[in-house]
Amino acid sequence: MNPQPFEWTFLDARETLSLLELSQVSGLSVSELDELMDYGALAPLAAGQKPNLFSAEWVSPLRTAGRLRQDFDLDLFSVAIVLGYVNRIDALERRLCVLQARLPDDRARGVSG
Amino acid sequence: MKFKDYYAALGVNRDADLDQIKKAYRKLARQHHPDMSKEAGAEARFKDAAEAYATLKDPEKRAAYDQLGMRPPGEDFAPPPQWRHDQGAEGQMFEDMDLADLLAALGKGRAGGQRAPMPMAGRDFETSVRISLEDAHRGAQLNLELGDTAGDRTLQVTVPAGVVEGQKLRLKGKGGKGRHGGSDGDIYLHIALAPHKVFRADRHDLYFDLFLSPSEAALGGEVEAPTLDAAVVLTVPPLTRAGRKLRLRGRGLADGRGGRGDLYAAVVIDVPATLTEEERKLYKKLAEVSHFNPRHATIGEPANESATI
Repeated sequence: MNPQPFEWTFLDARETLSLLELSQVSGLSVSELDELMDYGALAPLAAGQKPNLFSAEWVSPLRTAGRLRQDFDLDLFSVAIVLGYVNRIDALERRLCVLQARLPDDRARGVSG
Repeated sequence: MKFKDYYAALGVNRDADLDQIKKAYRKLARQHHPDMSKEAGAEARFKDAAEAYATLKDPEKRAAYDQLGMRPPGEDFAPPPQWRHDQGAEGQMFEDMDLADLLAALGKGRAGGQRAPMPMAGRDFETSVRISLEDAHRGAQLNLELGDTAGDRTLQVTVPAGVVEGQKLRLKGKGGKGRHGGSDGDIYLHIALAPHKVFRADRHDLYFDLFLSPSEAALGGEVEAPTLDAAVVLTVPPLTRAGRKLRLRGRGLADGRGGRGDLYAAVVIDVPATLTEEERKLYKKLAEVSHFNPRHATIGEPANESATI
């Protein structure tokens, strides 16, 4: 069996999505995404420009928040709060990864074992 | 089709009102959600509760479910003929559906007031994989095990070069099959990098500890340094201090766009575990003639803690 040449999409800042595309991949409706923007929990790449474009970095946190909404029967305002914490955790994990890369390893720090 | 007792799954009476059902579900979700509980079977208990709640919170679905009456859990039963008609599913497709699928589809069909079946998007798959730094650099072939009501399948894919720790990728249309014209689901892949014995990754940059002897650090010189490709000779400038990072441009991970990150050698100054008599004499001599005091910058500053010897 040969690996098939599938086209992966990198869900990071190099890709952008329209509001409709973001709705299709996140499981949240366009009106729900609009409401999240009203709460300031979701931001397009350039405020005030139509149509709105979003960084693909939003896909994963929105899917997580949408899943938690369904799993815990959350209202949309709670989703907005959750989304903020999901993004914060993601940023902290990235920061931790950077610091771990730049810190010396155990031998260099004189940690035995 | 197997009967499921949704009221028992939530631990409520059959005449429970919506508020009681919601409270019961939230309590179970809080207790058994995979993000909350690592107990064996917790995820299955959560899924049972979620499936029950999806039907009982919706008055139309609940009414349809209540039509089935009370039966022992797991009992085989034939759904009312009207369900097949409402669903618009024929033959094997209807037989392959379970109670939750059927109630979900019935709810959608009725809400639209149509006889025609509603398009149902295929299931998305979300999975995490841990790959080596070398695979992140060069690309990796993976077998993804996928399973849904259509059965188990293995999808062999190539993860592109250039992924980083925490990278999320989407493979459109390769998830579960959609029904009635609904789009096929997607695959979401979360990448984690396995720890490497030499290198630590920060995005596409790599770091490693370059151990130098005190004389190498003071006098400089050429030392061998590892890279992902092959060892290279690295010039250490004289008077290199501990913690200094020497950059080898373009020797990091491939970024997937034709470029590469950088490789940083973080200097660590080490001393031998033992000294020969001659080495001891030379170090003593050096200590006598050297005016270097590495604590000079901190001497005279107020100490946060007092040391007792």
